Amino acid sequence: MLGAAVLVALVAAFPLVASGYHLALGISILHFAVLATAWALFSGPTRLISLATVAFFGIGAYTVAVLHETLPWLAVLAAAGAIGVAVALLVGISTLRLSGIYFVIFTFGLSELIRQLVTWYEVNVHRSVGRYIFASVSQREIYWQLLALAVAVFVVGWLVARSRLGLASRVIGDDETVARHAGIDATRTKLTLFAVSALFMSLTGAVMAPRWTYIDPNIVFNPLLSFEVVIMALFGGAGVLLGPLLGVVPFVLLFELLSANFPNYFSILLGVVFMVIVYALPRGVAGLLPRREAKRTAPEPAQPAAQAEANPGALLEATSLRKAFGGLVAVDDLSFAAKPGEILGLVGPNGSGKTTVLNLISGALAADRGTLTLDGQPIAGLGAHRIAKLGVARTFQLVRVLDSMSALENVRVGFAFRRDPLWGARAEAEALALLTRVGLAGKADLPATQLTYIDQKRLELARALASEPKLLLLDEWLAGLNPTELGEGIALVRSLRNSGITIVLVEHVMDAIRSLADRCVVMNAGRRIADGPPAAVFAEREVVRAYLGGADA
Amino acid sequence: MLAVDILLAGLVLGGMYALTALGLTLQYGVARIMNLSYGEFLVAAALVAYSLYTGLAMSPLIGLIVVVPAAFVLNWAIYHVLLMPLVRRARTRDVLEVDSILATFGLLFIVQGIALVIFGGQYYSYTFLSIPVSVLGSTIAVNRLVALLFAAAIGLAIYVALMRTRSGTALRAVAVDPVAAGLVAIDVKRASGFAFALGGALVAAGGVLVSMFLTFNTAMGVVFTMKALIVVIMGGVGNMLGALIAGLLLGIGETAVARLVDPGLTLAATYALFLAVLLVRPTGLFGRSAR
Repeated sequence: MLGAAVLVALVAAFPLVASGYHLALGISILHFAVLATAWALFSGPTRLISLATVAFFGIGAYTVAVLHETLPWLAVLAAAGAIGVAVALLVGISTLRLSGIYFVIFTFGLSELIRQLVTWYEVNVHRSVGRYIFASVSQREIYWQLLALAVAVFVVGWLVARSRLGLASRVIGDDETVARHAGIDATRTKLTLFAVSALFMSLTGAVMAPRWTYIDPNIVFNPLLSFEVVIMALFGGAGVLLGPLLGVVPFVLLFELLSANFPNYFSILLGVVFMVIVYALPRGVAGLLPRREAKRTAPEPAQPAAQAEANPGALLEATSLRKAFGGLVAVDDLSFAAKPGEILGLVGPNGSGKTTVLNLISGALAADRGTLTLDGQPIAGLGAHRIAKLGVARTFQLVRVLDSMSALENVRVGFAFRRDPLWGARAEAEALALLTRVGLAGKADLPATQLTYIDQKRLELARALASEPKLLLLDEWLAGLNPTELGEGIALVRSLRNSGITIVLVEHVMDAIRSLADRCVVMNAGRRIADGPPAAVFAEREVVRAYLGGADA
Repeated sequence: MLAVDILLAGLVLGGMYALTALGLTLQYGVARIMNLSYGEFLVAAALVAYSLYTGLAMSPLIGLIVVVPAAFVLNWAIYHVLLMPLVRRARTRDVLEVDSILATFGLLFIVQGIALVIFGGQYYSYTFLSIPVSVLGSTIAVNRLVALLFAAAIGLAIYVALMRTRSGTALRAVAVDPVAAGLVAIDVKRASGFAFALGGALVAAGGVLVSMFLTFNTAMGVVFTMKALIVVIMGGVGNMLGALIAGLLLGIGETAVARLVDPGLTLAATYALFLAVLLVRPTGLFGRSAR
């Protein structure tokens, strides 16, 4: 803390000794430092590469150009920030569901669109392309304002990284589906970070505007700026708060050097340097630094406090569910109920619609028709994160762990986003206890990717349990276990039921179904063909025929 | 005949967009290289065609025979020398996508920088087959019609090759699932390199054709890259037919806005159309949904 304060004081004192060229260089570095750090605030954890930096920067600068003669400076800044945030929210609401390359191109298109519209407006309405800015702001004042912004963006970044918001954004970056099923409102999380990042970009544009006495759309909406920011942030390392800064300093100096000494070959040299960086430093400069090891004390034993509801009625009730994918009717007029504290087996041949049913319950898919109630409350059509918050947790048929996180962090995600969130040291202790319970004692600090397939399944279960579910959906969780592991797995699932959790079990392992399920719903081609105790339903002719085929097996 | 004017000019422009988008969809869809320097190669080909025409009096249509194979070889080399290290080290497609964006961004500057050193920043154009003819009551230059004809022929040839030949099927298989393609004995790296080179050849062909009737300079590459990207994404990544329809739509839409509203708003109209499509169908007009 003290070191940071001294550093800020030193940087703040720089204009007192430097002027002209060096001050301009300092401004350039600070300007990119704010932009790149703000960019990484959103794009680092979510891994959505945004090329809209210049859109917000330009909005800030133009706000100054339009308003600086009529409003006091602070009011102009406030207006610039407000407009930037408003545009970010407006755009974000509709576009943040785009992923990967679509988002990249969209944000680039957005910047170009805004530039074109501003140009058109200026030419046709304002009747002149550019505007003059006669604000009496000295270079030093610009420098100090940028420094204030830089400090603010670092503080905000530091706070976010320690908050549930920061964790949520990392989960989304790893696997958005898991995020939603863990109770994270992915849209809101992304929108918040996008808006915060846009706020800083707009303010930077506003602060920088007086440096040009004349601006036009091609100057302040120059797409090269967006690219430069991406490059610097990625070069430094977007996953760490101070990472982008590590990219900003050398790049600003390099740009300076190239444009001063090799003006004709600037472009070629820039390209070459750029490619060398991509090859030599895939994870950025920050990626070269060692990861910090977590220190912790021995786990305290703790039990997840899931209690059986006293409700005598069904916990989950599905009525006339239907879901079709084009012409394929995956679930057809399906009705069933799960009583509190029971294990309901959902079985049937491959393709009979079992996973689709789980997806309907957990909100991954919306039913075409029919109702779903949890504790008497309708849940059909709610978003996955809201259903998760109501107490439904799930595992996936193809195991999904959060790759960039340790086993412990994976479980903490479950604690952090449930209805009554658990956070901090207690969450860590409980997470360790849960890991022990599923058989992952001593593996808390391993990266999730390094776990074996079976251990990843255990980890997924622990994450689901951490969200303290009333209803747990297990999608072939026991598949692929060897006989010993199967025995352990069955005992574990039984112990979950005994602690009061209602379980819907999709499974092909018949031994598991027979020994675990209180009741079985058998599906074939999307329909329910039997419902009852396992021993009884497996004796039914239609069930045998569905499984074994044949005219009269 | 304003409608015919717009339709005809739009078709020519759209045909160029579709052809260049076809190349980009090969590079991106099959080789998984998001090539930001794509448009630079179009401009480079146009500049070479200009030099051949003014220096050696070589018709751009003959120039195609020189430029296209050269572009194929050059892009093949770029894939194997510059991009292969990235392909090898990428664990997932997403990583490769990001890496390739960054690497080709560097390539963009290099290609543009070389062009700038040789040709400078001024605008170039030359007159070739600039003879007005009347089509359905609308007047259009022969060079535009020839360009459209060539674009259609090249596009059709590529389409048939992809749909009907074994190598074409291999490319499509890699586009869908490189891992599974490897399992059925398709050499994924070779197919990817071939697709990237073929994409480069197509954009070079586009450059030569465009040079016959457009004025161009060394800084225009990015515009073409964006247009091609927009068309590819609007049409749905990896969807040839989608790229064709989206390309034509874009060409006609731009021409219509330029004639009917305001030439200054064509780019804005392009992006607005593109953004609207993405909002309604996040995976493109003809893209398959994610799940």
